[in-house]
Amino acid sequence: MRLLLVEDELDIQSFLKCSLEEAGYQVDVAADGKTAEQLAIEAAFDILIVDLGLPDIDGISLILRLRQLGVRAPVLILSARRSVDDRVRGLEQGGDDYLTKPFALAELLARLRNLLKRSAPAGSEATRLHVLDLELDLLRREATRAGQLLQLTPQEFVLLEYLCRNTGRVVTRSMILDKVWGMRIQPDTNVVDVHIYRLRGKVDGKGQQPLIRTLRGVGYVLKDR
Amino acid sequence: MSSRTDSPKVRSAAWRISLWATLAFAFGTMIVFIFLHGFVAGDLQRRSDAWLSGEVEVLGDVAERTPKDALYGRVVGEVAELAAREVPDKQISTSNSDNSVFFLQTGGDGSLKLWVGAGSGDAFLKAIQASIITPDRPTDLRVPGFSVPFRVACIRIGDGSHIFLGLSERDELRVLNSLRLRFILLWLLIVLLGFGIVFLTTRRMLRHVREITEAASRIGHSDLNTRVPTTKRNDEVSQLAFTLNRMLDRIENSMHQLHTITDSLAHDLRSPLTAIRGKLEMSLSSATYGERVEPIVAAIDELDRLTDFLNKSLDVAEAKADALRLTRSAIDLNELLRVMIDLYEPSMSEKGLQVRLRSGSPLVIFADAALLHRMVANLLDNELKHLPPACTLTIELRNEVDVARLIFEDDGPGFDPEVLLHLFERRVKGRDSNGHGLGLTFVDAVARAHGGGVTASNRESSGARIAVTLPLAAE
Repeated sequence: MRLLLVEDELDIQSFLKCSLEEAGYQVDVAADGKTAEQLAIEAAFDILIVDLGLPDIDGISLILRLRQLGVRAPVLILSARRSVDDRVRGLEQGGDDYLTKPFALAELLARLRNLLKRSAPAGSEATRLHVLDLELDLLRREATRAGQLLQLTPQEFVLLEYLCRNTGRVVTRSMILDKVWGMRIQPDTNVVDVHIYRLRGKVDGKGQQPLIRTLRGVGYVLKDR
Repeated sequence: MSSRTDSPKVRSAAWRISLWATLAFAFGTMIVFIFLHGFVAGDLQRRSDAWLSGEVEVLGDVAERTPKDALYGRVVGEVAELAAREVPDKQISTSNSDNSVFFLQTGGDGSLKLWVGAGSGDAFLKAIQASIITPDRPTDLRVPGFSVPFRVACIRIGDGSHIFLGLSERDELRVLNSLRLRFILLWLLIVLLGFGIVFLTTRRMLRHVREITEAASRIGHSDLNTRVPTTKRNDEVSQLAFTLNRMLDRIENSMHQLHTITDSLAHDLRSPLTAIRGKLEMSLSSATYGERVEPIVAAIDELDRLTDFLNKSLDVAEAKADALRLTRSAIDLNELLRVMIDLYEPSMSEKGLQVRLRSGSPLVIFADAALLHRMVANLLDNELKHLPPACTLTIELRNEVDVARLIFEDDGPGFDPEVLLHLFERRVKGRDSNGHGLGLTFVDAVARAHGGGVTASNRESSGARIAVTLPLAAE
């Protein structure tokens, strides 16, 4: 996957480049709009990360310009601004998703994956998910572990489904709140942890291999190994 | 404080103004008319008096010169009748009736000597004898049987007899009556017309004022671009509109500056935070699990709390300046509460707390969903952090006429009375609270940005009560 990172803060640029390369992306960087435009014309990128606060051009204007030049790749907008209307404007004006700084790397990677999935031709939607001996029936909204039916609430099923869809990848608390509960909040309390704790109690029974793992300071991951 | 305009009140102002203006106008014109009426009446009197005095002198002269023989009565009578035909202002309709002028001569002993006029002169003689008529100037005389008084002039001739010439004031009164009638009709017409014009003009002016008021009240937190309507007329009202618009320009400008400041502050702080967080995460992924991990994890946690604090501080700063930017949409508060309680319920029951939601039907308001989520999360975080185990939290959603009221009640220890007074101020927190003291300030800020408010109190029995009001319709 070839990725163009447009970011003028060198500190952020360097660690993002490192992390993205570690995640398997081939990363080109541009520190301003002009360079970004040239690079985007010269090579075909699969995905772009654009910071809104560029020295020479507004990030939104850059995206609009690139769209005019025929760049069809999805864009993840990074914004250090506060106002929501910037985000909405960003979404409406051709950027596909946005992320406010500071962010968790896991969330950045998850959003990139989502964008790539969205731009890829839609395959047939699976009706069952398997992770080792855990099986989710998405139509009947039922989950079984080693053939044993799990007594999950509808909300717990949605949470488990989200974890399963991201098997092997880290999901942060704010990602869970966004995708499972549909809200972008940052609670002062451990509300998400308690949900995960309860879910784990139901999914990972005694003597079974633990599936839901906690990565301290980062989030959670459903491990299939 | 209601900024809504009450249209009946405005109409009554138009009524009031036009009523007073019309009253003043009517009163003024009436005074002018009374003055004119007095002048015209006096002039008519003078003219008839002059005629009477002249004629009575002529008659006196004729009576004196005519020999007192059998023809005396006929001669004087004919002269008197001739004079009667020259009555000033005499109208044709009165020429046939004989009682508009009379001539009467009394002898030296006061008996009726000669009478020219309608009927017998006895009634007139009696009336003349009853009143004092001096030869110098004409006097009013009321005669029984006649509704209109007569103006009578008198002259004394050589043989000691008196000659009286009377002229009915009927014609004079007729002129004055017709003048009065015409004036009253015209006066009514003008007063009504004036009232209508004043009322319409005032209402039009006040309507412009009302439009300005309505536009000004519509200009809320999220909408500072609108301006009040102006007209091309350069009167006081449009001056007011221009001044308001200039003021709004200045407010918008300073609001814009505030946004620029908070935005650049956010940007300048968030960029290094992003870099720090990223580097910490990288070192976390490369670190082997063990003792090196713990400080990094703690640092990331601290960093996230710092970010949250930064966001809330900037939100509160903007909200305190009534500059919080809202992206409104239709939100079902009932559904929002249900989802939020669903999210918080496990944590609550883990701590031994019970949550009850008292709410029935959907309650849709037009508000900023993200801010409302964060507001309710703050309230729930607050309860979760401060309520001791085995307490119950009751959340009630009420639909009151034009506001939604959201009530959080618990049976815990309640607020510290010292804290209660300053609960919604920045940085105020309970003694054993480990928060940054922005939670309830933020709740207050969000409620106010939506045109609502928050009140906090201790319940009579025991426990705390926080009530948030949010208007159902956007301002």
